[in-house]
Amino acid sequence: MRILIIEDDAETRAFVARGLGEAGHHVATAADGRDGLFQATEGGFDAIVVDRMLPGIDGLALVRMLRAGGTVTPILMLTAMGGIEDRVEGLDGGADDYLVKPFAFSELAARLNALGRRPVAQAEPRKLAVADIELDLERRTVRRGGRKVVLPPREFALLAELMGNPRRVMTRTMLLERVWDFDFDPKTNIVETHLSRLRSKLNAGFEEDAIETIRGAGYMIRGG
Amino acid sequence: MAVEGWAADVRAPWRSTFGLAGLVSILLALATLVIGIAAYEVTHEALEQQLDHRTAIETRALLAEPGADRLAAIAGAIRRREAEQSVDHLGYLLVDAEGRRVAGSLDGSVPASLGYEEFYRHGDARVSQSLTSAVPGGGRLVVAADRAALEETDRDLLLLFATAFGAMLLLGAGGAWTVGAVTRARLNRIDRAALAIIGGDLTARMPVDGSGSEFDRVSGTLNRMLDRIGALMENLRQVSSDVAHDLRTPLTRLSHRLDEARTAADPARAQALEAAATQAEELLDIFAALLRISEIEAMGVRRHFRRVALGDAVGDLVESYRPDAEASGHFLLDEVDRDVSLVGDRRLLLQMVSNLLDNALRHTPAGTTVRVVLDTLDGKVGLRVLDDGPGIDPEEAQRLFQRFSRSERSRSTAGHGLGLALVRAIAIAHHGDAGIERGTGFGVVVHLGQPRTDDPSR
Repeated sequence: MRILIIEDDAETRAFVARGLGEAGHHVATAADGRDGLFQATEGGFDAIVVDRMLPGIDGLALVRMLRAGGTVTPILMLTAMGGIEDRVEGLDGGADDYLVKPFAFSELAARLNALGRRPVAQAEPRKLAVADIELDLERRTVRRGGRKVVLPPREFALLAELMGNPRRVMTRTMLLERVWDFDFDPKTNIVETHLSRLRSKLNAGFEEDAIETIRGAGYMIRGG
Repeated sequence: MAVEGWAADVRAPWRSTFGLAGLVSILLALATLVIGIAAYEVTHEALEQQLDHRTAIETRALLAEPGADRLAAIAGAIRRREAEQSVDHLGYLLVDAEGRRVAGSLDGSVPASLGYEEFYRHGDARVSQSLTSAVPGGGRLVVAADRAALEETDRDLLLLFATAFGAMLLLGAGGAWTVGAVTRARLNRIDRAALAIIGGDLTARMPVDGSGSEFDRVSGTLNRMLDRIGALMENLRQVSSDVAHDLRTPLTRLSHRLDEARTAADPARAQALEAAATQAEELLDIFAALLRISEIEAMGVRRHFRRVALGDAVGDLVESYRPDAEASGHFLLDEVDRDVSLVGDRRLLLQMVSNLLDNALRHTPAGTTVRVVLDTLDGKVGLRVLDDGPGIDPEEAQRLFQRFSRSERSRSTAGHGLGLALVRAIAIAHHGDAGIERGTGFGVVVHLGQPRTDDPSR
């Protein structure tokens, strides 16, 4: 992917650029809002990372300008604030995702992957199928290898999220946001507990674990 | 609540504007009444004295009538006077020593004693003011003045005072109402502005109409105070935002460096680096929690409030916690009314319930029952997370909602003592509050209100 990073802090910029470069992405950087806006409008990026606080033009104004100018490139906003109003304003302003500083690199990478390869405006699918698992979103049924698996609502939502993002690592935070609508980290291991219950139901009678754990990063559906 | 509709539930009615103005008008009316009564008494007394004076002069004149036979001389004078039909309404009666009428047409009996007396007239059953005197050489002379004029004057006076009293009452009541209504309308505008400011809108100001009245002066002073508070708040926000940016940036770098170093290091060193990274993250967590509490306390979050199906959300949350609760040997009771809804921030409300559940599950031993109750009573949403665990010292409980305060029972477990401070901040942002629920074990009760949209003048 070609990724543009607009971040005024040199160290953070270098850290993100280095990591993304090592992961095989093409990275361009801008140190202020004006340069960032200029590069972003040139086009050709698959994703843009924008810091909320920037000298010149601030991050939020920059996103609004890009969206007003017709740029549809997915944008991920970074922020160092408490994060409630900034999140709402960022998303309302046209950002697609949002990450509060500090973040683990794996979190940023996972989110950029999810953004960059987002399928273009496709009608919501009714059925998902990955490897030998089929999930019917309307009837709310799951089958693995033809055998019916009964799941409570949260475990179903968790599996649907993983299957809706094949070949992408879903981090714990992403799952908390998308399945539980949490923008905070509960002290209780909700994600881990639900995943382990989901796993034991999916894997009953099968050799292969249906869900892969990517150490230090998150979870991924196997065989996507 | 002290500010709620301050005409509806005034505890001391005489201290409200209407009350004060009404009190003044009643006092004025009473003063009018007292002055009226005094004037009436004085006038009445003066008129009576005038009547007495007239009878006295007449009596003296008759007794001084020349002639050797006193009775005959006086009788002659009386007859002359009665024939003249004078307009001064005096009546005469002259009797001899045996009590027989000698002259005078006054119809009635001679009073038993000498001096002034009310005289009852048989003819027209009216009362006159009479003076009875002894005639030298035997006999009595009675001169009576008609009281009709006095009574008429009394009636006129009473009518005048009654009218004045009534007018005073009416004017007073009208004045009280007008002053009260004007004052109240003005104070209501100030009240509304203040409520908006309490509600988080720091740009609201007291109304000033340029009249230069006392209200304008007070409003002006309050506005200058609000400007100052606004500037201080802005300053504070700027500082916390600077702190967030300036301190979190180096911490973020540190965290990133540790992240990178960990992947490159040998296993022994990686472990040390991992521990350091965890410490750095913990610091950053404290920062995040503090900044979040500050942001919620600034009330700006209210701008994004919308209707939340809280019953469903909390019910789902309890179910999400069930596996963990059961794994740690807790019993989780779901007493959530699924129909409860509220205007608020869904994620903040979820975080509040989640914090309370985290607390209850982490700080109580296995075998503890944790109840989550959500209901609506009198338009207020009540949320209770209660456990029957060992509980805590009641004195300690009071401090739990302050930042960084931790109870003795949680010293051994992880946490920063910010959880309940956050719970209270979220409750206050939702027009409510959080407190300790007394009973078995430990419990937190949160009341959430609806934003006040009613007009206080109604």
